[in-house]
Amino acid sequence: MMENIQATLYKGPAVEASRPIKMSSKDVTVHYGQKQALNGITLDIPERQVTALIGPSGCGKSTYLRCLNRMNDTIDIARVGGEILLDGEDIYDPDIDVVELRARVGMVFQKPNPFPKSIYENVSYGPKIHGLAHSRQEMDEIVHTSLRKAGLWREVHDRLDEPGTGLSGGQQQRLCIARAIAVSPEVILMDEPCSALDPIATATVEELIDELRENYTIVIVTHSMQQAARVSQLTAMFHLGDLAEVGPTEKMFSNPDDKRTQDYITGRFG
Amino acid sequence: MSFGESLSVSTFTIILIVIAIGLVGAVLAYRRARGLVGRDGVKLHSRPTYHASFVACWGMIPSLLVLAVWLIAAPIVISADVRGNFPEGVLAQSDLTEDLAYGIVESMGSGLRVLPEDERARVTEATPVEDVADLLRNRGIPIASAAADWMVPLAIQLNSMQIWSQWAMTAAVLLVALAGVALAYRRIAPRLRARNNVERIVTGALIAASSIAIMTTVGIVFSMLFETIDFFSRISPAEFFFGTVWEPRFSSAGSTGSAGSFGFIPLLAGTLYIGAVAMIIAVPIGLFAAIYMAEYADNRTRSIVKPLLEVLAGIPTIVYGFFALVTVGPFLRDLSAEISGLVTGNYASFIEAQSVLTAGLVMAIMLIPFVSSLSDDIITSVPQSLRDGSLGLGATRSETIKRVILPAALPGIVSALLLTASRAIGETMIVVLAAGVAANLTLNPFEPMTTITVKIVAQLTGDLEFNSPQTLVAFALGMTLFVITLCLNIYALYIVRKYKEQYE
Repeated sequence: MMENIQATLYKGPAVEASRPIKMSSKDVTVHYGQKQALNGITLDIPERQVTALIGPSGCGKSTYLRCLNRMNDTIDIARVGGEILLDGEDIYDPDIDVVELRARVGMVFQKPNPFPKSIYENVSYGPKIHGLAHSRQEMDEIVHTSLRKAGLWREVHDRLDEPGTGLSGGQQQRLCIARAIAVSPEVILMDEPCSALDPIATATVEELIDELRENYTIVIVTHSMQQAARVSQLTAMFHLGDLAEVGPTEKMFSNPDDKRTQDYITGRFG
Repeated sequence: MSFGESLSVSTFTIILIVIAIGLVGAVLAYRRARGLVGRDGVKLHSRPTYHASFVACWGMIPSLLVLAVWLIAAPIVISADVRGNFPEGVLAQSDLTEDLAYGIVESMGSGLRVLPEDERARVTEATPVEDVADLLRNRGIPIASAAADWMVPLAIQLNSMQIWSQWAMTAAVLLVALAGVALAYRRIAPRLRARNNVERIVTGALIAASSIAIMTTVGIVFSMLFETIDFFSRISPAEFFFGTVWEPRFSSAGSTGSAGSFGFIPLLAGTLYIGAVAMIIAVPIGLFAAIYMAEYADNRTRSIVKPLLEVLAGIPTIVYGFFALVTVGPFLRDLSAEISGLVTGNYASFIEAQSVLTAGLVMAIMLIPFVSSLSDDIITSVPQSLRDGSLGLGATRSETIKRVILPAALPGIVSALLLTASRAIGETMIVVLAAGVAANLTLNPFEPMTTITVKIVAQLTGDLEFNSPQTLVAFALGMTLFVITLCLNIYALYIVRKYKEQYE
């Protein structure tokens, strides 16, 4: 187990320390009713890098991810405290339009959730509601580019009118990524995007994530430490609502400072 | 002559005894199956409860089937036997006289059973019918004056046959029950596949239950069909379906040629018009209420509003009828008088108190809870992941509802609306009180109209015989209504299939 991780580790690209900060959070807390789910998370997310959030179930990593594009707003009982900045702007500022924020910070969910519409309509959904295309040609262009970037074009280009729900699980997840890309976000949040996929589909999606890093800032929650090691440059370890440790992925998996991180990645708990 | 003391065991008691036999068998079977386990590592194929159910089923099902068949067959056999002894003169007459005579024989026969021992002993085959009738009358059993002397022996025969049948049935049923239990009990063994047998019986019972609904529907259709055919043999279908005047005169029986007009168009128009007005008002309001409850209301509001709406759905429609008659109708009439007063200076109301609008409005109030409650359930069942997906792309709540949730919920909503529409078409009480019973053909929603169901009630509650066109038309109307609703449902299924957006 340990050897596997070590072996994959050295293939991973090195962190570029000089990356500017895209999003930064200061002392973020979340309460679900009486229960506190996050106890003050302070974390910087570098631009055009993949940041992995790892940790045992229930540690708050998904909750934190949903803070970054205010998806917790849709849960009645959730209360968010602290400060989250996107390019220096507080996203919880009352002046910020949540619709605009979510167009800039897109999200891909754990379970592939294509709309019960055609493949084309799935991808054109976002651009349509944000008015990004002014003609049919422009829309076609956006849809085709997004599908290409998501690595799905070759497989679906001749059946764009078929329902997105008819694709395989891995294809559906890439369709959801294409759907997120289509609104040209700056940040893409991924909540365990491969947990419902088989190893081959997982490998495809991971490759895709690596390519997307060129243009997008990516934050990914994952349960698979190999995956974190393979795709990410920065890793943050969550534990019971706390940020246990954060650091370059390479260092986290070879020489973690925190005892909890060490126990977790060596499989002693979680 | 009489067979002996009549048996005082009612059918209900027999059923109870059979159930008791089955339960006792079940308990015994359970203990026997349990007893098998201990012996040198024997493992049962099925758990003891299945053995118990197996024995109980064998005890109860065949015997109850025998009971049912006997109850159906015995009267037929007895009737055929007794009628065979009728004098030639009676048999030669019409079926009606024969039925009548048999009715008298039957009531005399069953009357004999009620008489005390000594009085019954006085009745022999030679007793004149007047004496028998007197005896029965004293016991509160009236005998028709058409009774004749030849009926007395037949009544005695019928009585004894019925008593014999009752005895034989009780014996047969109990015997079958005991035999079933005993046979099944003997079959109990470790390898007996009792579970599979019981499961098969359960499947059979479920199939039987679902076929009852289908058979009933078929039965209803046929019972209407024959009467409808009878009606159309008197009035031509063209006159019925294309006639624009509804005026079935209740002419005195026997006088022919003055049956009146049976034009069905005014009724169909009224039904569709009132239903359409109701749906046009109820669907948007109900749907918006459902969207609010499912997507916007917080849990507390929802937990108050939803039960309130469901209470509204439980109000009997006759109460809505009162509301229309006493409140809405007069209000609309006065309102229209005020309006025309303001516009023309002449305070003449242009909305009649009983009108299409009144009925449609009140029916809409009745339908709103149906639309909203059904739609709310359907909208709520759209998976949260679709909402998240849309919101995560920066869609607003209303965009999410319009573009993702409603399309996904559409098939369900369509069938909910169709269900509501069939209620609107079938509604009677509100229409009687709010739109009247006059079969007008008009486009003006401020005038009274009436519907098919109202006219069915009107035609069937008269004193007429069941073989005049005035009453038979009710079946033709019912059949037409049935076909209309059937077409609506088939169309709804088609829509649902065509636009179904799979989200699983």
